[in-house]
Amino acid sequence: MNIIKNLYNWIDERVKLEDLVNFLGKKYVPVHRNSVWYYFGGVSLFFFIIQVVTGILLLFYYKGSADLAFESIQFIMSKVQFGWLIRSIHSWAANLFILAAFIHMFSVYFEKSYRKPREITWVTGMLMFFLALGFGFSGYLLPWNELAFFATKVGTDIAGAVPLIGETLKIFLRGGEEVTGATLSRLFGFHVALLPGIFTALLTIHLLLVQRQGMSEPLRVEALKQSEKKTMPFFPNFLLRDLLLWLLILNVLAILAVFFPSELGRKADLFASAPAGIKPEWYFLFMFQTLKYIPAHLLIFEGEVVGILLFMVAGVLWLLVPFWDTKSSKGQQNRLINYLGLFAVIFIIVLTILGWIA
Amino acid sequence: MNNSSSSQKQNNRRDFLKYLLTGGLLGFASAVIYPLIAYLKPPKQREVEVSSVKVGKLSEIEKNSGRIIRFGNKPVILVRTAAGDLRAFSATCTHLDCTVQFKSDQSILWCACHNGKYDLNGRNISGPPPRPLDSFRVVIQGEEVLISKNV
Amino acid sequence: MKSFLSFLLLISFFGIYSNASATEDQCFVCHESIGGAEVELYKKDIHFKKGISCSGCHGGDSTSEDMETAMSKADGFIGVPKGANVSKVCTKCHSNAQIMIKQYNSALPWNQEALLAQSVHGNLSVSGKEQIVSCTTCHNTHGIVNVKDPSSPVYPVNLPKTCAKCHSDAKYMRTYNPALPVDQLDKYRTSKHGILNAKGDPKVAECTSCHGSHEIRSSKDVKSKVYAINLPKTCSTCHSNSNYMQGYNIPSDQFDKYSGSVHGKLLLEKNDFNAPACNDCHGNHSATPPGIESISKVCGTCHALNAELFSSSPHKKAFDQKRLPECETCHGDHAIITATDKLLGVQNGAVCKWCHGDKPESKAFQTAKFMRELRDSLVNEEENALLLINDAEQKGIEISDVKFKLRDAKQALFESRTMVHSFDQSKFSETIDKGLNVTTSVTQDMSNAIDDYYFRRWGLGVSSLIITILAMSLFFYIKRIEKS
Repeated sequence: MNIIKNLYNWIDERVKLEDLVNFLGKKYVPVHRNSVWYYFGGVSLFFFIIQVVTGILLLFYYKGSADLAFESIQFIMSKVQFGWLIRSIHSWAANLFILAAFIHMFSVYFEKSYRKPREITWVTGMLMFFLALGFGFSGYLLPWNELAFFATKVGTDIAGAVPLIGETLKIFLRGGEEVTGATLSRLFGFHVALLPGIFTALLTIHLLLVQRQGMSEPLRVEALKQSEKKTMPFFPNFLLRDLLLWLLILNVLAILAVFFPSELGRKADLFASAPAGIKPEWYFLFMFQTLKYIPAHLLIFEGEVVGILLFMVAGVLWLLVPFWDTKSSKGQQNRLINYLGLFAVIFIIVLTILGWIA
Repeated sequence: MNNSSSSQKQNNRRDFLKYLLTGGLLGFASAVIYPLIAYLKPPKQREVEVSSVKVGKLSEIEKNSGRIIRFGNKPVILVRTAAGDLRAFSATCTHLDCTVQFKSDQSILWCACHNGKYDLNGRNISGPPPRPLDSFRVVIQGEEVLISKNV
Repeated sequence: MKSFLSFLLLISFFGIYSNASATEDQCFVCHESIGGAEVELYKKDIHFKKGISCSGCHGGDSTSEDMETAMSKADGFIGVPKGANVSKVCTKCHSNAQIMIKQYNSALPWNQEALLAQSVHGNLSVSGKEQIVSCTTCHNTHGIVNVKDPSSPVYPVNLPKTCAKCHSDAKYMRTYNPALPVDQLDKYRTSKHGILNAKGDPKVAECTSCHGSHEIRSSKDVKSKVYAINLPKTCSTCHSNSNYMQGYNIPSDQFDKYSGSVHGKLLLEKNDFNAPACNDCHGNHSATPPGIESISKVCGTCHALNAELFSSSPHKKAFDQKRLPECETCHGDHAIITATDKLLGVQNGAVCKWCHGDKPESKAFQTAKFMRELRDSLVNEEENALLLINDAEQKGIEISDVKFKLRDAKQALFESRTMVHSFDQSKFSETIDKGLNVTTSVTQDMSNAIDDYYFRRWGLGVSSLIITILAMSLFFYIKRIEKS
């Protein structure tokens, strides 16, 4: 114990750790019946850390070219010790990351924690969420198997239907007219360099703001008198609870990786015909399914284009919610927000299920 | 007395918890670090794709002989002609995937399954094979003979 | 009365016509008086009978008695046509539908010139000035008669000799195609076709039946009637026509059987030239069914190992004594289908049973049974090994080594199919054992690897335990902090 204390003193002497500890010590987490949702931000963060670590590890053996991508994953899965574990964790954590981010986002939304003064936190969070979807999309192609190949084809086709910029966007994403080895190198670049770079910058802002502004209280808790509010120190109480949860999640990941290792399927064949029932990853399923339900033509517009435009408008509105929900910022109840959110949740769940069983 | 014994007990429990926590942390760290180190340890096969294979010393390869060499997942046959030339072909018969062999008395590559014959340029000259054997490149580096893909 | 009148009219018309033509063809009148083989031949010529004068080919004025006028070059007299002009003289009418139909009411096709030009014979001759073959090469010059006339050089019975004029002349053929054999006529005379042809049967196949007449192309030309893919169809034009084949006492279902056979499917559907067409077993010019003893030699040109093994097996002698056709007895002839394991053994549908089925204690019966069982075991073992490998692959286990090993089992499977034809237990089991050794070692490797895979769960159990302990102690630690 003395060694640790000495080391602490040594660093403290130079960096003035005391300020930091004091700052953390003064930081309190509100305790109320909805406190459990506070954990999901941390959980998302943990998944992101896992992704960074396992992703870096995978980079040691992965080769991002059409002739070697599939084989290199096969190599990782069979020849590299614990390669199966690293890849399976990366793949499971990717899905759980997006799930955790979904929950985190909706909990923040329903508590209206985005209201003044936390607009920037919300916007950076939303941008990170979009990036996470980008991570999922770009990472899905990297094993270069049949399923991924066709899902990417369909996905970029949908991007191509966006009015005005669609065609350009499609060619930009594909690195050419078709999904080829060029697409793979491109998405590989996005996945391991471009997206992580932007994500890290956003994450830094996001976390700094959370520390700076503290945890948001729900409107009804905010309205309580100071004496009636219950709190818990962030350090060490809340942080330790966070760690405990992360530990359990890590164990869950290990169990999933051992019992349900991610499969590889068959290598993509550029000239093969698409197998039946190509579906995107589950988090794109609700959008994919909605586009299927929209009739081919709505008046003079193409159905798909209308659908994509609607999703884009909804996305922008969602991103900018702190700026048009002025009521919440003034501390008033805004039921419209709740109804909209409820609609979004039900819509996403129902269409995901429909897409899943289709 | 009572007080001190209860605080004693508490102290014991606290110590035990500390040991448990430290032990758990150490165990956890090793459970995480061990797979990581094993993962980073270079695997037996260094790379995904085999691009070339070492066969051996030139002086050890007899004239008018052939041998099968494993090239990734596929067999390759290295032939040294009576004149001393080295040639390498895919040893998979183009008919039904049997492995061909060198017949020194006839100077041909021969498939035992259906009597397919190839000349020493890999051309199918008799029997059921529909196409010639793919050829591989033979590189001689000093004394060492290497086989690599024909690009 | 009326009909009588018209008959009279007709007679008088003919009389006048023939009379007139006779008086008018001054070339013929004069040349007949001089005498000469041409004139005598021309009297029999179909063109003469149709009233065509010498000038029809040679030009000039056939109405003039004056030699100067009749053979005036200014009036178009060409004398004896030379080189490329020979055929031109013929095609003047024969390629002109107007003349052929309206003037002579002929049913002859008028595209012979065009066909000849596209054929091998339409190439330029060594002189470079004319086609290799002109009309007169085959049809004669002055004595041209209908092809159905037995005196015609292109009458079926005469035709082989006509073609052989050039094609059996080694010196001549060397100037065009030194690699082409010149023994076709000799071979043909040994074939069923050639023998009957020599006896005067115009119905049997001669050169043009298979090669075409004016349109003869090289056998390597995809449009040739004897190009490998087209050949079965060509043979079938006669051999599948049961009316035509009446009187020859042979079936007419060979083509149908062949089309459904392994050979026919390969050649006709997959266009695999390695597969035999009719001629590969029967011979082309010397076409005849292979003899009973020579079947294995004929099949053996491709299925060499099988034939060799069969010939040195005890079956060879037995088959010869019983006059059984070798390969054919078990595999069939035109309708050969892919041989499967069903053929081997003593169960229903196995061919061994046909001869050996009624003596279960005999060595042959036991051998057949044994070979089938052995082969089944290797097939099963190989399948099992593959299943294990696939299972392992899904679990992320390294399988390239064993897959490489398993190639040898597959090879043993192939070799054992051939080895059956030795009908020798020990040779057969030697081959099978090679494969079984491989499958055993592969199966062993794979089960070890799969055991290793399940060992992962032990690792997981241990680390889960560690994590649980850590999590619990952390939990109590938090509790204690919050209490104080």
